[in-house]
Formats: sequence, C-alpha cells, structure tokens
Amino acid sequence: MTSALRALGTVFRRELATVLRTPGYAVLGLGVLLIVAAVAVVGGGGSTGILPAVVDLLLPVEVLVPLVAVVLGYRALLTDVGSGELAVIRTYPVGVVAYTLGVLLARLVALIVLVGVPLAMVGGYIWATASPETGIYATHTGVDSPLLFVRFLTFALALGASYLAVAAAVSSLAAGRRSALALGSVVLLGGVLGGDLGVLRSLSDGGSTTALAGTVASTPNGAFRGLVFEYVVGVAFEAGNGFVDPGRAVLTLLGWSVVGVAVAVGSLAYGRRVDAVLERLRGRFRF
Amino acid sequence: MTDTTTLTADGERRIASFTDVTRTYGGIPVVDSVSLSIRPGTTAVIGPNGSGKSTLLGLLAGSVEPVEGVVDRAETGDGRGERRVGYLPQDVPFRGSFTARETLAFYARFVGADPDALLASVGLTDAADRRVDALSGGMRRLLGIAQATIGDPPLVVLDEPTSGLDPGMRERAFRVAAAAADDGTAVVVSSHDLDLVGEHADRLLLLDRGGVAAADDVDSLFEDHDVSSVEELYRSVVASDSDGLGGSSEADHAVHVTGVSE
Repeated sequence: MTSALRALGTVFRRELATVLRTPGYAVLGLGVLLIVAAVAVVGGGGSTGILPAVVDLLLPVEVLVPLVAVVLGYRALLTDVGSGELAVIRTYPVGVVAYTLGVLLARLVALIVLVGVPLAMVGGYIWATASPETGIYATHTGVDSPLLFVRFLTFALALGASYLAVAAAVSSLAAGRRSALALGSVVLLGGVLGGDLGVLRSLSDGGSTTALAGTVASTPNGAFRGLVFEYVVGVAFEAGNGFVDPGRAVLTLLGWSVVGVAVAVGSLAYGRRVDAVLERLRGRFRF
Repeated sequence: MTDTTTLTADGERRIASFTDVTRTYGGIPVVDSVSLSIRPGTTAVIGPNGSGKSTLLGLLAGSVEPVEGVVDRAETGDGRGERRVGYLPQDVPFRGSFTARETLAFYARFVGADPDALLASVGLTDAADRRVDALSGGMRRLLGIAQATIGDPPLVVLDEPTSGLDPGMRERAFRVAAAAADDGTAVVVSSHDLDLVGEHADRLLLLDRGGVAAADDVDSLFEDHDVSSVEELYRSVVASDSDGLGGSSEADHAVHVTGVSE
C-alpha cells in the first residue's frame, strides 16, 4: 500500500469512528426515516406504487438531503483545524489531498447510511406492500418498478455528495464554529432556494424559455429534480421529454462535488501561506 | 531520504535553523527577525507570556508560516523514519471519544509504529483503554509527548508540556520529554517552570518581546551573566524589563506574567 493510500485509509477509519460515536447522527438518521416514511404514508403515494411515492418524496428529499449533507460537512474539516490537531497531523507523512479525501469519504459513507438506508427501507416497504403490482422489473416505458426507486436513490445521494463537498469547502474556510454554521446555512438556503429563485428571476427578466432545460440543470437541486423527472417520473410519459439536459445535470452534480473538494484541499494546503502573504502586505502597506 | 543536517560553526549537528524569521499578527510582530540554530539535546524556550514562545515553536513545527525569513529543518536520515518533526501544541488537541491507545494507534499507523510501546514509554499502559476525555491533564500531556516522539523524528517540539500540572506530574512530563533527547534528537520545549528547565535543559533560548534576549548552553549563560540558576538568569535578562513579575506565579519558582495573552 502506498503512503498516500495508507494515510487516506487511516484518516477515513478515524473519521468514520468519530461519526459512529456521535449520538446526534443516529438521531438524525432516525429523523430522516420518520419524515420519509410519514411523507410516503400521508401523501398516499406509498400505498399506490413506487412512482407515486417518488413524486411525493421529491420535494422533501430536495430539502432533507442537503440538510443532512450540510450537517455532516459544515464542521468536517474545521474540527481538526480548530482544535489544533491538524497541525499535529501535518507533521506526519499525510498529504492534504489524502487527509481531505479521507475525511470526506467517511462523511460520504455516513451520508449514504443516514439518507440511503431510510430511503431504501421506505422504498423496499412500498415495493413489498403497494398495489397495483410493483414487483415487475421495468424494461420499457410506463411500468412501475423498484428500479425507478433505485434511480431516485442514486440521484438523491449524488445531490447529497455535492452539498457535502460544498459544505466541507465552507468548513475549511470558516474561522470558527459560528461562522461555519452561518456559512453552512447560507449554502443550504442558497442551494435549496437560491437556484430556483435565480431561474425565476431570469425568466421574469425575459430570459429564454428554450434555454430553461440547461439553466435548471446548472444548480444541484435543479439538476437532481431534472434527472428525477427525466429518468424516474418521465418513464410514465414519452421518452425524451426534455425536462432537463441530462449531461449538463450530471456534470453539475459532479462539478459541484469536485469544486467543493478542490476548494477544501486548496484552503488547507495554501491557507497559511495566503495568511502570511496578507500579513506581509499589511506590514508593507500599513492597512 | 538524504540527511541534509548541517553543522554549526563549532562542528555540532544543526537540526533546524531560523534566518531572520519574522511573524506578525495584525501587523504586530510577535517573532521579530530571529536567527538561531537548534542542535541535538534539550533546548528550553523561556520568557514572559506574550514573548512569542508559542509562535516560535509553531514556526519550528511548521504549523505557523513565517512572514519574513527562512526556517530550515533537517531531512530525516540516519535510519530514522519519514517524520521530520514531532509536535505537541500548548492545548493537547486529541479527540475525547477515543481511548489513549486508539489515539496513538491513529498516529502510529502513518509511520508503522507500535502504539503499545509508545504508551509504555510514557507510563500510560494502565490507562490505554481510558478515553482521552477521562484522562487527567497530566496523562493527556504524557500522551501528547508520546505522540510527538512517534516515528523517531530528529526534532521534537513541545509547547509547555508541564503547564497546569501538579509538581510530581510536571517532573514526570519534563523527564519524559528530556529523555527523548538522549539519542541525538533535538527536543525544544517551552516552559515557565524554571527549576525543571535548570535540571533538564542543555541549552536555553530566552525570548523577550518577540526577540532572542539570550541563547546558549546553560553553563555558558550562567558564566556570562554571573548567575547560578535559571531563575536568576531570567531575572537578570528579562525581568528588569517586565512589570508584575512578582505578581503571580504558577508555582514557587515558576515565572508567569498575568494580564498578557500568549
């Protein structure tokens, strides 16, 4: 095993152990399960089939998944920075990339458990109990299928991963717990509401409706919603409905994740140098 | 890895060096144009609160970036591992939900060391399965010292490892720290406990207002300043410039200036 992989694995295991020993996350997972189950039951979709259930769950998931991701990520990198432990870790042969990926992969596993397990449980229950028959695996348009729920779950986790990466980037830039919380809230509100408000503003200002499929796909929530419409809900309609540009939507979710990780790595790697340069400039120009 | 350890003018190995190093915060110099060499053995960094000890140790450990000047650290060599510097900050930073063994095992995995041997080296074998947040302050410091020596680095930097400890634990912590210097390692330790510094340090680095007020072997400094103890040396070099020296103390012979934040 190379030194970088060993370091990544060591950081990953410690971070995962930390998450497992934090009771609040178990409560969070239970909360997600209760909310998702309640929405499926109260909305009525859960008793009808996978597709109606997805329609019921779509909006709550758009809020819940980013919320859980931000909760998992907003202090992920700040904890070691704030306690001074990162300064100790960096005296070992641990690269910033290995450290950051180790922390974030552990948090991603936590996200998969906290979001994926409750959704999978609800999806499995609907599959087993709903009528009409949902046990037929869909191979063509129009048939309700558990595979549709798997797609929905996959898109939801991709949405969560992008928020987790952005929240971690915020965590690496924050000066303390309060500022991390404030910045995390901005990420959550800006992501959940800001993207759609921006699209509406663009349309009200005379923006092109023909470009809507691409515009919607440029925010994580828009990309997620578009993919769900295109590949889950859309199977009940004609193929190629053009809810969203699928390639752009996938690139958006992937891009936000990559940019978030890159900002986090850059911040940890160069933050001290940037601070020293600013101090040098402050000394020279007396500001 | 190549051993780039250089020699000082008198032929001793140099583990680290500062050349005109300055560090400011908010434009105010905390370490100001400091040049020095660190050699094997125990070097104690002493000085009033706010004199720049923690910042200087942070610069030495690499956790603080200099605004001006150059900090050189020796590469590992002589069969040592991959770690160039061991560091224990002033506040022991370990996660409270992990046991002492788990904490050391986390760090030991990076360099392939044995956590149980490390625990034994600081006398914490019996506390191996206790959570960090259930350890006493002294035990945490010892755990921190054990961590700082993992991987056999040529330079070990300990920021006030005896702060807030009872006399017995202070002696133990200092003894363990000084023992790390027995095999050619340079141990740099800051402390307000001047009696223990006098007992264990080979060299002194006396800081005052961000600059080096005195730096040499303990015996040479005693001779140059015509004193017989570290406390007398401290008073001779620094105390005349400081207000409130007699106003507070950590212990009978410790020097601690109140009202000034590190």
